[in-house]
Parts: sequence; C-alpha cells; structure tokens
Amino acid sequence: MSFDREADLSELLSGEGLESLGKSLAGLLGEDYALVSSKGEWLLGRAGEGRKSISIRLELEPLGHLEASCDEARLRGAAGLVTALLKEARRYHMASELHLEAVHADYEALQEKHHSLLKSEEKYRKLAAELDLRVKEQVRTIETAQRQLYQAEKLASVGQLAAGVAHEINNPLGFVRSNLATAGSYLKDLKGLSGLEGASVSSYWKANGLDFVLEDFAQLLEESVTGVDRVARIVSNLKDFSSVDGSGKKSVDLCENLRSVGELVSGQAGGRIEFEYDLSPLPPFSCFPGHINQMLLNILMNAVQSIEGGGRIRIFSRFESGEILIGIADDGCGIPDEAISRVFDPFYTTRVVGSGTGLGLTVSRDIATAHGGSIGIESAPGRGTEVRIRFPAGGGK
Amino acid sequence: MADYDEEARRLVIKLVYYGPALSGKTTNLMQLHEMLGTELKGDLMTLETQNDRTLFFDLLPVGFRAPSGLMVKFRLFTVPGQVIHDGTRKAVLSRADGVAFIADSQKNQSLNNAESFRNLAENAGRVGISFEDLPLVVQYNKRDLPGIVEEEEILARWSSTKWPVIFASAARGEGVKETLEALLRPVYLSLDADFDLETEHGLSLEGFVGSVLKGET
Ligand SMILES: Nc1nc2c(ncn2[C@@H]2O[C@H](COP(=O)(O)OP(=O)(O)OP(=O)(O)O)[C@@H](O)[C@H]2O)c(=O)[nH]1
Ligand SMILES: Nc1ncnc2c1ncn2[C@@H]1O[C@H](COP(=O)(O)OP(=O)(O)OP(=O)(O)O)[C@@H](O)[C@H]1O
Ligand SMILES: [Mg+2]
Ligand SMILES: [Mg+2]
Repeated sequence: MSFDREADLSELLSGEGLESLGKSLAGLLGEDYALVSSKGEWLLGRAGEGRKSISIRLELEPLGHLEASCDEARLRGAAGLVTALLKEARRYHMASELHLEAVHADYEALQEKHHSLLKSEEKYRKLAAELDLRVKEQVRTIETAQRQLYQAEKLASVGQLAAGVAHEINNPLGFVRSNLATAGSYLKDLKGLSGLEGASVSSYWKANGLDFVLEDFAQLLEESVTGVDRVARIVSNLKDFSSVDGSGKKSVDLCENLRSVGELVSGQAGGRIEFEYDLSPLPPFSCFPGHINQMLLNILMNAVQSIEGGGRIRIFSRFESGEILIGIADDGCGIPDEAISRVFDPFYTTRVVGSGTGLGLTVSRDIATAHGGSIGIESAPGRGTEVRIRFPAGGGK
Repeated sequence: MADYDEEARRLVIKLVYYGPALSGKTTNLMQLHEMLGTELKGDLMTLETQNDRTLFFDLLPVGFRAPSGLMVKFRLFTVPGQVIHDGTRKAVLSRADGVAFIADSQKNQSLNNAESFRNLAENAGRVGISFEDLPLVVQYNKRDLPGIVEEEEILARWSSTKWPVIFASAARGEGVKETLEALLRPVYLSLDADFDLETEHGLSLEGFVGSVLKGET
C-alpha cells in the first residue's frame, strides 16, 4: 500500500462523510439523483431514467459521475461540491498514508541504524577483544623474554658476586700468607736456640724478644685458622649458590640456603648492615636449589638496597602447622602504601633508570609459586619491610 | 517503475523533484503548472506547507493520449528538502521513473547540495531503485542571484558524470521547461524499452516530449 496509489471514489468517500454528503445532495438535487463510481459502484442515491450526468474528476480522469433529473446549473453546483469534498478527502488520504509510510521508513531507518550500530559494536568488541588478546600475548612474550634475559643477567650477577667473593677470599688469604711469612721468620728466630745452653739461652731469649715472638706466634696461628675457616665458609656458600646451574631437584634444608645466601650478601654489604639469623629447624624441602637461592638473593638484595647507611636485616624461619615459613625483614626505607600493590608487577621499579629491572620480586613470586608456595610483602613506610614466603612442607610439585 | 494498466490503457509515470531545502523544487512545479499546455493538466496540489516549506509533497498531474489511445499520465512530485523529513523523502521517491535534482547555485549551498545528492543516492538504494539506471537531470537554480558558483566550475564538477546539467531561474520561469525536457528524454528511453511506446503506441521520443511540453495555447 503506497500513499501515491490513486484511490477510487468509494475509498475517498466513506462512512459519515458519505452519509452527510448524501443528505446535502438530496437537499440540493431532490431524491432523484445518483453518485456512481467509474467502476459502476452505486455510492449515493438511486437508479433512475432520463437524467443529466456530469463527470467528477480529481486529477485528469473521471473518478465517477453525478446524475440527476434537476436543472444543469444545480447539477454543476452539486458536482463542484462533491469535487471540493473529494479534493479535501484526497489530501487527507494521501497525507495520512504518506505519514504512515514516512514513519515506517523512519522506523526502518532507525532499525537499520540500530542494526548497523549493533554490528559495528560487535565488530568493535571483537576487535577490542582480539586486540586485548594480542596485546596480552605480546606482553607475555615480552615478559617471558625479559625474565629469561633477567635470569641470564642474574647468573651474570652471580658471576659478579663471585668476583666480590674472590675479593673477600683474598683478604683472609692475604693476612694468612703474611702471618705465615711472619711465622717463618719467628721459626728462624727460634731455630737460633738450638745448640745454645745455660746462660746463653736466656741471653739469646731476651736479645731476640722470644717472649713476644711466642705470644705473637700463637696469635698468628689462631688468626690464620680463623681466616682459613672464613675462606672455607665462603667457598662452601659459593658452592651452594653455584648449584644455580645444577638444574635438578634436590632435597635441602632451607635454613642452610638462608644462611649461605645471607652470608654472601652480608659479605657484599661490607659490614654496614648487621645480619641477624633467627632460624628454627625446617623439614627437608624438595626444590630447585638454584632457583630458591636466586629468590632469596633477590629479596635480600632489595633489603640491602632499602637501607641507607647502617641498618639491620633479620632472616628467619619457622615451621608451623605443616607449613614452612621463611622471612626476610629489614629496617630500611619501606614502601609507600600506594606502591605496595605494584611491587610484584613486572618492570615496576623505583630504582634509578638502568639500575633495576623491576623483575626481582616478579621472578621471586614465579619461583615461589613454581614450588607450590606463596610470597607476601608487608611494609611500614620509613620503618622497614618484611617479605614472607610460605611453602607446604616437603616441597612443591 | 511506471504503472502500466493494460486494461485501462493507462501508463502512469512518476517524476520526482529532489534537492536540498529551499532550492526551488516547489517553485519549479508552480511554474510548470503555469507554463505547460499539456492536453490534460490537473491542479497543483501542495500538501501542508508551513511557512512555504513543503511538509509532505507537491503534486502536479499532467497527461496526454498517445496515438494508440494510451493514456500517458505524469505525476510530478516534489519532496520536502529539509533534512528531518527523510522518511517522507524516501516514501515519495519510491517507484520514481525519473528525478530532477534541483540544486541551489548559491556558493554557501554547495555543501547542502552535495549532502542532498548523497541522500538521494542512498534513498534510491533503500527503496530499490538502481541509481545507475535512474533517469536523472541536475538543475542549478537561482542563477539570477549574486554570489553563485560559476557555470564553468559547475560544469567541470559534473563533467565526469553522465547527467545533464541545466541552469535555471525557476522564480523567473527560466530553465524550468528545459529541465523537464532533459528529464523526459531518458525517461522515454527507459520506458520505451519496457512498454514499446514507439512500436505499440506510435509514440516517438519527440512526440512524447512534445506532448508534455506543449506551450500554453
Ligand atoms: N532568487 C530566486 N529565488 C528563488 C528561485 N527559485 C526559488 N526561489 C525562492 O527560494 C525559496 C524556496 O523555494 P521553494 O520552491 O519553496 O523551495 P523548495 O525546494 O520547495 O523548499 P522545501 O519545500 O523546503 O524543500 C522561495 O522563497 C522561492 O521564491 C530562483 O530561481 N531565484
Ligand atoms: N625491601 C624493600 N624495601 C623497600 N622497597 C622495596 C623492597 N623490596 C622491593 N621494594 C620496592 O619494589 C620495587 C620492585 O622490586 P623488584 O625487586 O621487583 O625490582 P627492583 O629491585 O627495582 O629491580 P631489580 O630487582 O632488577 O634490581 C623496588 O624498585 C622497590 O621500590
Ligand atoms: Mg630487586
Ligand atoms: Mg517545497
């Protein structure tokens, strides 16, 4: 149905309008008249003979005719009335039909718009999701690459550590060597006693200050033993740590790991920081010792870095309700409240550009979770930070 | 597609005057109503105007009988140019056999012209008219005004298209008949292909155009 379809007479004249037109026409033309459509439909009046007829046109062609037996002028007047009425009826008819069509078209346009909006929204959402996925994937790839790089770098820094350790070892080695040299000269002094007898012994003793030599000799030896012990300990710590490369799983006593990594770090800190060990016995723990040591080193390095000048680091372990707890607490600068939730984020760092990767804690958490454990951090800004790691007894998967 | 009633021997052709608001579509129809001396010419029906703006459409019916006795009837419509009446424009455009696009020559109307032309192409698509095949003529109206775009520029702009461009001053009656003529020619060609106007009804192109454009006698 379209608005510009040409309506016929019966469509244009219907209902009340037709009824009142009938009354007017009867008044004007008498009872002997009829209004007939071009299709031959009898709309008003009745059949009759010998009437005059006049056609009713709206556009170009007749829509019907009016016939009556009255005089022609009257009939023409009546036809004019019907035409005027039809014109109005058609205006109304077309306008209302068009209005309906237009509203429908607008509605359809709206639906179309809505549809395309939905489609583009869907497309957008899909794109966004895809993008999100792709970005995440990218980030994952980058992170993995970075972490691998980080591992490699940390291994390199273990090398650095070793260099530091070598220096540390050189120290005691140096004084043990000079002690031994001194001891050698003391021995020579003592050798002079052989063959002497009586008073010459005591005069030689005095002349060469052998009282002091003997005393110092003992001290030298004692010192040297301490030095050698220290070297031995450093070497053993280093040996523990160097199991970084030994990739297999091993059953370890985590307290030993804590102590050896702690001592390595404290050696590095050069005495400005006091290390306190508060270690309760732990059950054997099955793990990748290289990774565990790396984790402890990361956390301990952070603790050292948080302390400016002198300070204290407490390393502790507990075994409570089937769970291994190890902790490292410092009295350093602490972490501001707004930053604490981000410290495990990859690449989050507050270090001077270039000096920190922001991966230390990220990797530590990776290692803890890989061993079935968890890691937590608590901090009081300005007062210090405590990191706690928990493992199920016996070790992870 | 023209409405052909074999029994009633009647062909009804719908031509639509399209274009931006106030470009002179209604004025074109008013002038045609004055000027055309077509055998049959109905009243100009203007529907619901508000301050002279077309709200629904204007309709001018004209017609003639072909030598075969076929009644050839034209219904010339205008659309409302105002952007908001898009639904109405679309309804009026549907089933059009030809379109006269009435553009406003004033420089500041270039954008409205372009917008309206794009709207015409879009709506043609929406009501199922192939815009490529639609007989179309472009009229640049209001040539009597100052501040209008130069003829050369307009011609250059449309030279790459197949549509004829007519310059007009509808208010003065200039270019109005020429526009209709330029539209009737392609309309005849497309109808002749469908209804054999020449062979079946003895209606040639010149006869077709001439019958509509007969001067007032
Ligand atoms: N100067 C001048 N004015 C014109 C010309 N043609 C139309 N106008 C005027 O432009 C105004 C708008 O003309 P209409 O014919 O009503 O415009 P329309 O395209 O039907 O406008 P809508 O119905 O709103 O779409 C009227 O004031 C006309 O007198 C012309 O050739 N020259
Ligand atoms: N014990 C701590 N005290 C104060 N701040 C800390 C401590 N541990 C971590 N942080 C804060 O968390 C940040 C992230 O630590 P993380 O170990 O992940 O990276 P980093 O130390 O900056 O870099 P990298 O470990 O590569 O040297 C640090 O930059 C620091 O701001
Ligand atoms: Mg760090
Ligand atoms: Mg108008």
